[in-house]
Amino acid sequence: MRVSKEWLNEFIDVDADVEELSERITRGGIEVDDIIDYTSDIKNLVIGYVEDVKQHPNADKLNLCRVDTGGEVKQIVCGADNVAPDTYVVVCQVGGRLPGGIKIKKAKLRGEVSEGMICSLDELGIPSEYVPKEFQDGIFIFSGEQEAGGPALPAVYLDDAVMEFDLTPNRKDALSMIGAAYETKALYGGEVKRPSTDFTETGENVDVTVKNEDGEAVPYYALRVVKDVEIKPAPIWMQIRLVKAGIRPINNVVDISNYVLLEYGQPLHMFDYDQLGSKEIVTRFARKDEKMTTLDEKERTLHESDIVITNGKGPVALAGVMGGDFSEVTDQTTNVVIESAVFDPVAIRRTSGRLNLRSEASSRFEKGVSHEFVIPALERAAYLLQEYAGGKVQIGYNSDGTLDTSDSVIRTSTDFINDRLGMELETAEIEETLFKLGLETVSGGDELEIHVPSRRDDLQIPEDITEEVARIYGYEALPTSLPKFETITPGRLTDAQQKHRIIRHQLEALGLSQSINYALTSEKKASQFTERTEGLRLMMPMSEDRAVLRNSLVPHLVDNAVYNTSRQQKDVQLFEVGKVFISKGQHAQPEEIEKLGGVLTGRMNNTDWLGSHVPADFYAAKGILDSVIEKLGLKDDIKYVPSESYAEMHPGRTANITLGEKYIGFVGELHPKHEKDHDLDQTVVFEVDLDALLAVKSGTIEYEVLPKYPSIMRDIALVADRDITAGTLVEIIENAAEKYLIDVYVFDVYEGERIEEDKKSVAIRLTYLNKEETLTDEAVEAIHQPVLEALKDEGYVLRG
Amino acid sequence: MDTSQMSRIQDDFDASLKTVEDARSLQDLKVRYLGKKGEVTGLMKEMRNLSNEERPAYGQKVNELRQHIDAAVEEKRAEIEAAALEERLKSETIDVTLPGRTFNIGSQHPISRIIEDIEDFFLGLGYEIQEGYEVETDYYNFEALNLPKSHPARDMQDTFYISEEILLRTHTSPVQARVLEARGGKEAVKIICPGKVYRRDSDDATHSHQFTQIEGLVIDKNIHMSDLKGTLELFAKEIFGGEREIRLRPSFFPFTEPSVEVDISCFKCKGAGCSVCKKSGWIEILGAGMVHPNVLRMAGYDPDEYSGFAFGMGPDRVAMLKYGIEDIRHLYTNDLRFINQFKQTEDGGETLESL
Repeated sequence: MRVSKEWLNEFIDVDADVEELSERITRGGIEVDDIIDYTSDIKNLVIGYVEDVKQHPNADKLNLCRVDTGGEVKQIVCGADNVAPDTYVVVCQVGGRLPGGIKIKKAKLRGEVSEGMICSLDELGIPSEYVPKEFQDGIFIFSGEQEAGGPALPAVYLDDAVMEFDLTPNRKDALSMIGAAYETKALYGGEVKRPSTDFTETGENVDVTVKNEDGEAVPYYALRVVKDVEIKPAPIWMQIRLVKAGIRPINNVVDISNYVLLEYGQPLHMFDYDQLGSKEIVTRFARKDEKMTTLDEKERTLHESDIVITNGKGPVALAGVMGGDFSEVTDQTTNVVIESAVFDPVAIRRTSGRLNLRSEASSRFEKGVSHEFVIPALERAAYLLQEYAGGKVQIGYNSDGTLDTSDSVIRTSTDFINDRLGMELETAEIEETLFKLGLETVSGGDELEIHVPSRRDDLQIPEDITEEVARIYGYEALPTSLPKFETITPGRLTDAQQKHRIIRHQLEALGLSQSINYALTSEKKASQFTERTEGLRLMMPMSEDRAVLRNSLVPHLVDNAVYNTSRQQKDVQLFEVGKVFISKGQHAQPEEIEKLGGVLTGRMNNTDWLGSHVPADFYAAKGILDSVIEKLGLKDDIKYVPSESYAEMHPGRTANITLGEKYIGFVGELHPKHEKDHDLDQTVVFEVDLDALLAVKSGTIEYEVLPKYPSIMRDIALVADRDITAGTLVEIIENAAEKYLIDVYVFDVYEGERIEEDKKSVAIRLTYLNKEETLTDEAVEAIHQPVLEALKDEGYVLRG
Repeated sequence: MDTSQMSRIQDDFDASLKTVEDARSLQDLKVRYLGKKGEVTGLMKEMRNLSNEERPAYGQKVNELRQHIDAAVEEKRAEIEAAALEERLKSETIDVTLPGRTFNIGSQHPISRIIEDIEDFFLGLGYEIQEGYEVETDYYNFEALNLPKSHPARDMQDTFYISEEILLRTHTSPVQARVLEARGGKEAVKIICPGKVYRRDSDDATHSHQFTQIEGLVIDKNIHMSDLKGTLELFAKEIFGGEREIRLRPSFFPFTEPSVEVDISCFKCKGAGCSVCKKSGWIEILGAGMVHPNVLRMAGYDPDEYSGFAFGMGPDRVAMLKYGIEDIRHLYTNDLRFINQFKQTEDGGETLESL
């Protein structure tokens, strides 16, 4: 809503400049987003009287005008077609300025002196989309007599500044000048003056009947008939006020309809009485697939939820949204029907949303109009048609439905308001504050009975009154305190939250930085690094790249690696903690699983001059995961199992990770093809189900007394087929040792010389410890020999 | 008693010792004199040729000689070792200005830093942290928060719908609705809810279809709006600096009544006016209000008995304001040149602000 200060002054006297007023209104709860000051870049503007216009001797398209600028007659060269003798115009004199940094100097145009400039409305700072048609391609010309030399800005109603209200959805009451005036009154005091509706009825009784077939769709509909109107431009003050509000003037009848809309927030519609096609208005919901052509000449297929205004036969308007083509006011119109009605806000919202037809009218109807202004707006329009279109207001008005213009009542108490706010206001202070808002209060002791006019039907419950008191009284006055809780709570992280932080710290300490990626991804990426082929899809995605919820963190982490390596960041180590979404169909919430993902490429811990680094290989990723798992105390529960199930992963360098029996993720090297497609060198990724890891309760640390006796180590080396995993060997050993075996550690794997092809040598260190007494060689051998036997039984050859 | 031989041996030894330069020849020298067949050992053999009266004196003399040699050898050994050590240290000298072995450290994401800071403040006040679903039902995202399907305020939120009833949450408020419901209308609530939220916005320098929010909710008997103001004032001072002030401006949220926007005095220019606060001296940072009775009622709380406040803010915005980040997309691009700027530990400065 754009509120002109000059126009606002007609409703209420405000003794404050626009900056102060804006600041006060903003602090009161309506944010003034912007101030458009029409005077800011303008200097030396006067009214000029064009005495005479001659063709420029050297230029076809230019005119030489003799202009009286108040005592002095000057020659001004003007290129506009519509410049004419015996007219009053706006002249920017030599030394003057216009918006856009234009400075007017004495000039010679094609050999002729020009002392100033005759201005168009564009040149005065009005956006061209709002300039009335008659002045669109030329200069502005006053319609009546003016005083030559007088100040021009007030004469064109641009000695003004406009406040742009950014209204919250509850403040529809301020979608009108009268609403802005009431808000101003609440802040400054004073009285709101209502516009004149002082017309004279003549002619016949209104002969157009009204019937609302559905009382919920159209609770109330009223109309008046005004005859013998003369279609012409509206007066300049009305046109410019519309322009300042962001509405382009059309003709007096249409402009009056818009002007009253801005005054009262009540949208009106004007029909051509003679083109209506009947003498009745019937409102109803549209029939299924009913068609109508709206005044933008588009044929529209209607839904059963659209409200239509009909002439008893077919639609003449889409209620609150747009008029129909044949019933609209045209230059030939002489008699008009004025509609002022209340429509179901939800229906209007649905229709305007579906057809993408948002207008000044629909945006007000969909928030609900104030019942108290429905009839005044109708009367005001009739008055303006009489005054500025020469219309004859016919006798009476017809209506159907009920209009509840009575005040609603909210009961509350001083005590309640003070309790909610934490203040100690007196009843009288509350009453006074509410009075400023135009709310009458009847008080009895502590009890308050507040009468709310329909224009403030957003106020419904005692809490709403509390807010009105607080905002008008001012939040500066609100004291500060801290809550006095009934019980004291410790305020601590849950185990899982605590572990989240620990894991994050650990990964950072290992050199990985934290990334945050989008949860929305493409269809293609949603099916990578997962067995699931489909993700949960948005109904209306903004783009195909962000259309589906991710099934894995890895695709975007790979993207991060690509992004960085292509920007001279060759060493990339990133992790992310975030959710993936396991679809249970489009109509159910998905299962959300928190995952820990990571990507490594390039070198880690690289010290070039020492030639040392950790390569970003499978074992680096596994080691990082192992350290996290160790920190969580889950080392004994985790297994790595070779996996070939991911198309994007290297089939020989990828492992599934299991926690007990449960699959919780994978780690491995990207498939060389995937690397090549993404222009990546060797890159490893991992992803584990963090929820599953954190669900295991590790309890507290169990301290063990330090061993009093030494442990004994035995190294063995054996030859095995190359495809036998170290894990297999360790498992045989662990199963074969009866007791005392406390650690099995693979410390060397060798392939090559002196070992058969297809074979490898694996060296394993076994550590034995008896916590009760010193282990003798004999005792160790008794345990160790069966281990060796077991290995031999499985066909492994012991070396050395 | 003839001691001339002893004197000779001592002189010889002293002379030889002077020529010794390494541990090896020192050991040889020691053996030559004190070894089993050494010269001093040989002297002891002479004892048997002496009378009983002479023996003790002779023995003492020989011992003195032995001690002299022993001491001299040890002294020399120490000298040689010291020299050798010095030699070794000299040869082992390294260039301490060369780079150390790299142990990379990663960086926390700036949003996560800010969220943790805010969480820690409220943990200190006894709040708990609650998280929830990112894909929500229309009911918990809107209806339970006093936003029925026909509510005009739904226009404020452009929502990513998955189906009529399923959507990506547009705020973290559904966590509040669920927690309230779970508490069954009886227990007090003191929670902080951080998390990712989604809006149907085109990504540009100031808009992101995904961003983060952190919201707080307090429900108890006897909670007043002044408690909200006091809590947020304390928050502003602890997080943004001891000199910060707050300002409440009336606003509208469907789930609170009264509703306010909360500005803090600018932490960059201290209220004087700068580019961060757009010359106003104030930065809009929070939305807040008293929980709407409908929200309480829907969750089973009696609004006559219980009241409460809620507030919410955007860690993305806080991060952008604090660090002067010019483009919100940096927060989601994961450019290491960006993220790695947030490695360092920060302290509170003179006025103890943590942000």
